Amino acid sequence: MDKNRQLAATFAAFVGGVAMLRAFDPATSGIFPPCPVHYLTGWYCPGCGSLRAIHQLLHGDLRAAWALNPLTVILLPFLTYGLASFVFFEIRGQGLPQPSMRAGWIRALCGAIILFGIMRNLPVHPFELLAPGAMLGL
Amino acid sequence: MFCSQCGANNADTAMVCAQCGRNLQAVTPATPLQPTGIILPPGTTVQNYLVFAILTTVFCCLPTGIPAIIYAAQVNGKLQAGDVAGAQIASKNAKMWCLISLGLGIGCMALYAILIMVGVLSGIHQNR
Repeated sequence: MDKNRQLAATFAAFVGGVAMLRAFDPATSGIFPPCPVHYLTGWYCPGCGSLRAIHQLLHGDLRAAWALNPLTVILLPFLTYGLASFVFFEIRGQGLPQPSMRAGWIRALCGAIILFGIMRNLPVHPFELLAPGAMLGL
Repeated sequence: MFCSQCGANNADTAMVCAQCGRNLQAVTPATPLQPTGIILPPGTTVQNYLVFAILTTVFCCLPTGIPAIIYAAQVNGKLQAGDVAGAQIASKNAKMWCLISLGLGIGCMALYAILIMVGVLSGIHQNR
């Protein structure tokens, strides 16, 4: 079936991406593109450091991952569950059980992501630690 | 209940007005068509694409993921209010912004790959 083929291709790309991310460190290898926002503006976006953080997580280094992007470390389990649910939905027509989030919670999450993006650019003491790698001087 | 034709007070269970004979069942006001309390058919969900919205925001590093998250919030908000049609529109918008983010992300990756290749080629050229 066409849909199965699509799913298989997506899954293969996903596994390939994860394998590449484990094999090559985005901080040093240069094969992963830089964050376009940081490249164009010099500002850190809420996602800056997420690839490096996942690379560290794939090697079991939670400390380094946290220093690179704490937001990614916090959100990753939920995102993984959500993605798994989506895959289940595509395969058997029913996803994993999910609580229906109130709209206010989603807006709060959106605000938290934006706030995190602003805070990590502030050159003031506690906030500057949120810049990618700043906590460990990476 | 009061008869809508002559105004006589009838028992709530009366089928016809005791005074003028008007059919009371037909003139009972229909249940108001307010959007509150619409129950979705079981199994119907309106996808809010929240996971993809956050993924594209965080991994494509793009601000275009933010409207996708806001539309995702709108989907759930409208569903709570019983506005299924509105939720479906918001769902479409959320999907659109996810796809825009994904496209831009892939575009940036492709651009980066081209730049690297050009850089490598020119490096080879200069070293000759």
